[in-house]
Amino acid sequence: MKKIDISTILASAIHESKNQVGTLLYQLQSLKDAISNNDANHKKIVLIEESLKKLNDEWVEYLYLYRLASDGYDLHVDTFLLDEFLDDQVFALLPSAKAKNLELDYTCDPSLTGIFDERLMTAVVSTAVYNALRFAKTKIRISAIKHRDFLVISIEDDGQGFNLSDDQPEAFLEGNTGLGLYFAELSATAHVIDEVKGFIKKESSLSLGGANLSVYLPQPTTDQTLSFK
Amino acid sequence: MAQQDFSKKKALLIEDMAEARIMQRKMLSDFGFTSIEIAMKAETAVELLRSHSFDVILSDYNLGNGKDGQQLLEEIRHSKLIPHTATYLMVTAETSIEMVMGAIEYQPDGYITKPFSQAVLQRRLSKLLETKERLLEVNLALDANNFNEAILAAKRVIKKYPSLLGKCERIIGESFLEIKEYKKALSLFNKTLKNRKMPWALFGKAKTYFFMGELEKAEQNFRQLMLDNRFFVSAYDWLAKIQVKNNNLEEAQATLIEAIGKSPKNILRQMELGKISLLLNDYIAAEMAYRRAVFLAKYSCYNTAEVYIKHLESLARISDSGPLLPRQKDNFESTLKKIHESFFDDPDNKAKTYSYEIDVYLADNDKSTAKQIFEAWLSEVKSGSATPPSKQQSSIFTKSFGS
Repeated sequence: MKKIDISTILASAIHESKNQVGTLLYQLQSLKDAISNNDANHKKIVLIEESLKKLNDEWVEYLYLYRLASDGYDLHVDTFLLDEFLDDQVFALLPSAKAKNLELDYTCDPSLTGIFDERLMTAVVSTAVYNALRFAKTKIRISAIKHRDFLVISIEDDGQGFNLSDDQPEAFLEGNTGLGLYFAELSATAHVIDEVKGFIKKESSLSLGGANLSVYLPQPTTDQTLSFK
Repeated sequence: MAQQDFSKKKALLIEDMAEARIMQRKMLSDFGFTSIEIAMKAETAVELLRSHSFDVILSDYNLGNGKDGQQLLEEIRHSKLIPHTATYLMVTAETSIEMVMGAIEYQPDGYITKPFSQAVLQRRLSKLLETKERLLEVNLALDANNFNEAILAAKRVIKKYPSLLGKCERIIGESFLEIKEYKKALSLFNKTLKNRKMPWALFGKAKTYFFMGELEKAEQNFRQLMLDNRFFVSAYDWLAKIQVKNNNLEEAQATLIEAIGKSPKNILRQMELGKISLLLNDYIAAEMAYRRAVFLAKYSCYNTAEVYIKHLESLARISDSGPLLPRQKDNFESTLKKIHESFFDDPDNKAKTYSYEIDVYLADNDKSTAKQIFEAWLSEVKSGSATPPSKQQSSIFTKSFGS
C-alpha cells in the first residue's frame, strides 16, 4: 500500500470541518435575525456564535501552521497603517472579549506603518488574544511600535503572566501543547528582510502586569520609501 | 473611518450557492444598498457588466462549473469591462485565497474570507470604498489612459496617505511601463524590491526587461517569479513570449503546456498554444488547444470568430494526412455549427470556413460534396457576401475535383 502523508490528510480534514463551521455560522445568523434581542435565547445564540467563531479562527491557525511547517506558505507582504490593522483586530475580537466581560483595546502612533503579511499576522494576533482571554482579569491590550528596524506588535494582559522561571513556559499558552507560541514563532520567522528574521519575545507586561507576547517583524533599514522622484 | 453611504452605490453580487447568495444580499441591503443586481454565474455577470455600470462587485471565488471568480476578474479587467474606480471584492475560502493572492497581475481590490458577519462585510466595504475615494484622481486618470497624470496623482496620494504607498508605487511603475519610460520603471521596481520582496515589483521588473529587449534578464526574473509564487501562472505566458522571440517555438510550446497543466481554463493561453502548435505543424496539439478554447469561449469575453475558425483550420490540417476520425469529424461539425450561428456574416470568415470544409471532404474522398461547397462559395462570392478563393486555392480545388 502506498504510504500516506497523514499531516496533509489532517490538514484537509480540518479544512472540511472549518467549512462546516462556516455553514453553521450562516445558519446561526439567520436564526439570530429571526428572534428579537430580548429573547432569552438570544444570549445563548451569541455564546454559541462566539464559540464557533473561535473554533473557526483556531482551525485557520492550524491550517497556516501546517503550511508554514511544511514550507507550503507563500508570504504576501504589503504596507499597512497599524492604526487600521489593529482597529480591525479589535473589531473582530471585541465580541469575544465582551462575552467574557473583558476590556480589549489597542494603542499605536496613528501614523505608524509596517510591512508584513496581513493574513498571517491576523491569525497570530487572534491566537494570542484568544489565549489572553483565558488569563486576563479585566483587560487585554494590543499595541504596535517601531523599535530600531523592527515593527513590534504586542499582546498584553493583566493576568498571572508567563511563569518565566518555569521549564516549560509554553504550557501557559494553549494548554500543554505550546501550539499557539510555535505558530507565532513560525509566523514571525517567516518574515525576512535582508536575511534578518522576525522573532517573538515572552515578557511581563509593564503596563498591565500580566503576560506580554511581542512579535518582532523586520522592516527596511532606512526610510527610502518616499525618496523616489 | 468615515461612515459610508451605500444607498447610491450600485452593487453586483456574483455567487452560485443559493444560501450564501440570499445571506449576502440581505447583508448588503441591510447596510444600505438599494441597487443590487445578482448573477449566479460568470457568464451572467459578464452580460450584466456589459450593459450596466457598477460601483461595487462582490464575487465569490468558486462559481461552480464555469469560470471561477479570479478568471472572471482577469477577463473583465483585461477587456476593461469595469473602470478602475469600481471596487471588486472577492469572497474566498482558505484554500482559494492563495490562488487569488498568487494571481499578481489582476488582483481584486480586496478579499474577504468565509465565513464573515454582516458587520465585517460592511466594515471591509467601507474601507475599500474609502481607499477608492482617496485614489479617485489616480483611477480617473488611469481610466482616461492619462498615465502622466496618474503618476502625478499617485505621488500626491503617497504624501497624504503613506499607507497607500504600496498601491501607489505599483500604479506609478505600471504607468511608466505604459508610457514606455522603461528606465524610470526599472529604477522604481528595483527600489521597491530593495526594501520589500513584492511579487508585483518583481513582475514589473521582468516585464520592463522584456520591453527593453533584454530577454535574458527578463527570463531570469520571470523564472524567479515562478519559483516564488506557485500560483502565478502568467509568468509562464511571459516566458513563452520570450521563447517565441528567441525562435524557440518548441520550448514555448512546452512552457505553455506546463502552464495549462496548472491552469487549464485560460482561453488566451489555449489560443496561444494553438497558434504556436500550428506554426510547429503539430496539428494534433493545435486541435486540442483550440477545441478547449472553443469550449471556454462560450463563457468568455473573448468569444471571437478566430477561436472557432482556427479550430476548423487545425482539423483541416489534420485531414491533410488522411480522413478525420469520426470523433474529429463530430468536433468539426459542432464548431462549424457555432460559426454558422454567430460569425457567418463576415466575408472572410465565410471564405475560410468553406475552404476548410472542402479540405475535410476531399480528405474523405467525397469529391461531389466538396465540389458542391466550392460552388456555394463561388455563388456567395458573386453576391458579394464571401471573399473569393485565392488563385492557388481555385487551382488546387478544381484539380482535386477531377472532372
